[in-house]
Amino acid sequence: MLWLKGWLETRFRLLFMLIFTAPLLFVMHSAGAHATASSVSGRVAGLVSHVIPFFIVFTCAFLAGAGIATQTSFQASKGLHGSALFTLSMPVRRLRLLAVRAGIGWLETSAVIGVLCCEMWLEIPMQRAGVTPIEMFEQAATLIACSSVIYFLSVLLATMLDDQWRVRGTVLASVGIWVLCTQLSLPAFADIAHGIGERSPIVAHTIPWNVMAFSLGLSAILFFAALKIAQRREY
Amino acid sequence: MTDFVIETHQLCKSFKDQPALRGLDLHVQAGSIFGFLGRNGAGKTTTIKTLMGLLRADTGSAHVFGVPVTDADSAAGVRRRIGFVTEDKELYPYMTVEQIIRFTRPFFPSWRRDLEQRYLEMFELPKARRIPDLSKGMRSKLMLLLAIARGAELLILDEPTDGLDPAATEDVLRELVSITGSSGITIFFSSHQLSEVELIADHVGIVDQGRMVVSGCLDDLKARHQRVHVVLESGEGPPVRWPEGAESIRQEGRVVSILCSHNADAIVEQAQSIPGATVERFPVTLKEIFLEHARSN
Repeated sequence: MLWLKGWLETRFRLLFMLIFTAPLLFVMHSAGAHATASSVSGRVAGLVSHVIPFFIVFTCAFLAGAGIATQTSFQASKGLHGSALFTLSMPVRRLRLLAVRAGIGWLETSAVIGVLCCEMWLEIPMQRAGVTPIEMFEQAATLIACSSVIYFLSVLLATMLDDQWRVRGTVLASVGIWVLCTQLSLPAFADIAHGIGERSPIVAHTIPWNVMAFSLGLSAILFFAALKIAQRREY
Repeated sequence: MTDFVIETHQLCKSFKDQPALRGLDLHVQAGSIFGFLGRNGAGKTTTIKTLMGLLRADTGSAHVFGVPVTDADSAAGVRRRIGFVTEDKELYPYMTVEQIIRFTRPFFPSWRRDLEQRYLEMFELPKARRIPDLSKGMRSKLMLLLAIARGAELLILDEPTDGLDPAATEDVLRELVSITGSSGITIFFSSHQLSEVELIADHVGIVDQGRMVVSGCLDDLKARHQRVHVVLESGEGPPVRWPEGAESIRQEGRVVSILCSHNADAIVEQAQSIPGATVERFPVTLKEIFLEHARSN
């Protein structure tokens, strides 16, 4: 039943993010409708490189980890833990608590990314002409795998910070990752920013397997670190 | 096999070098109703959280059902046998009464649907109401339902009647006594309401500054503790060396008031040896025992 708790905690956030895809789509649609064949690939590349990563960071920060640590800044500042004490009175190991909560948020994040990719393909005629459904599926898989780092970074922050600081921390850390990827000459497999953007399947027409594998590996490490903190955390 | 459901030995816990528990020894017998008393900051909630695996002890040991509770995961199996009411009575604000019952039920194989129904009706809890819309008293009742219906062998209740009106408090206390009698579960509860503790507890422990200062069967404690009033003939009596057990000696005018923790007969005998003194002995309430121990520490 932990899934029910996770779902009830995040359902409105998920709905908000799904609704938020609509204005994003409008921008995409405008880009597609007025583009000429020669300019469309540049516009789509710009969209994929800049708008979508921003949206994904926001989705990860919004859907990850709410309620893992404390409830609100107000309660945290008073040393209160809200309903966390009730959750922790359940006969459940912290691994399961964290895994279910993080798993639900990750599935929801994946769903938002999936919906976004479907909408991109359906709403941008010029892109539909140049990208196959399989490539769009590959794009979604790449975005999900690469964004996992941001998501699990947010989960890690959730074991240390309250919900509001976690969101701010995730956005700041994501900016840091972006700066690292763009300013330093990182090895190709570690360049997550370009894996989501310019090296993603609908722009580069290849799957960045090495970046995906690196991202998933790093995500596992972040989850493990989050688990260790959650297991040691006192309430 | 030990008869103690809860057993701690020299339990110590500090927060940023501020000691909360300083070698707490606690023994709670199976089937008892144990009232855990102490002033604010005495270490009650820290003890309860340590027993639930929410805090890790710095040194010493804590066993629940004979299982060492060293961290959150080691306590996970034990928590299946425990019903818990938290001090702040916080539940999920996004659930209704029915949803939180449905959420809690599957974690406990011995869940008692009969008790669930009984308390839903008795506490008049509206199933469809959202938790933020419940009053503090209603939330306390809901937490009690969620704790008791687990079919637990041990109830750990941190201020269980906090927020309840006198009638509801009475109902809850009666139910606690009733379920202990009918199903033999052990109840370990903290409270500031000494009258409540006196009403239902058969064992009490008084904790002060992280140490257990008094612990035992309530009847024995009350039988052992007595107040002796010595009315002197003149304002100043002869200096008296009171026997062991004279815990607190106060003089107001001609009256010397002595709280005896034990050895009352010897103390009375000593008082009677004072020329012209009149000696009376009175039973004491739990409140008097508590206040004397809290003050003396």
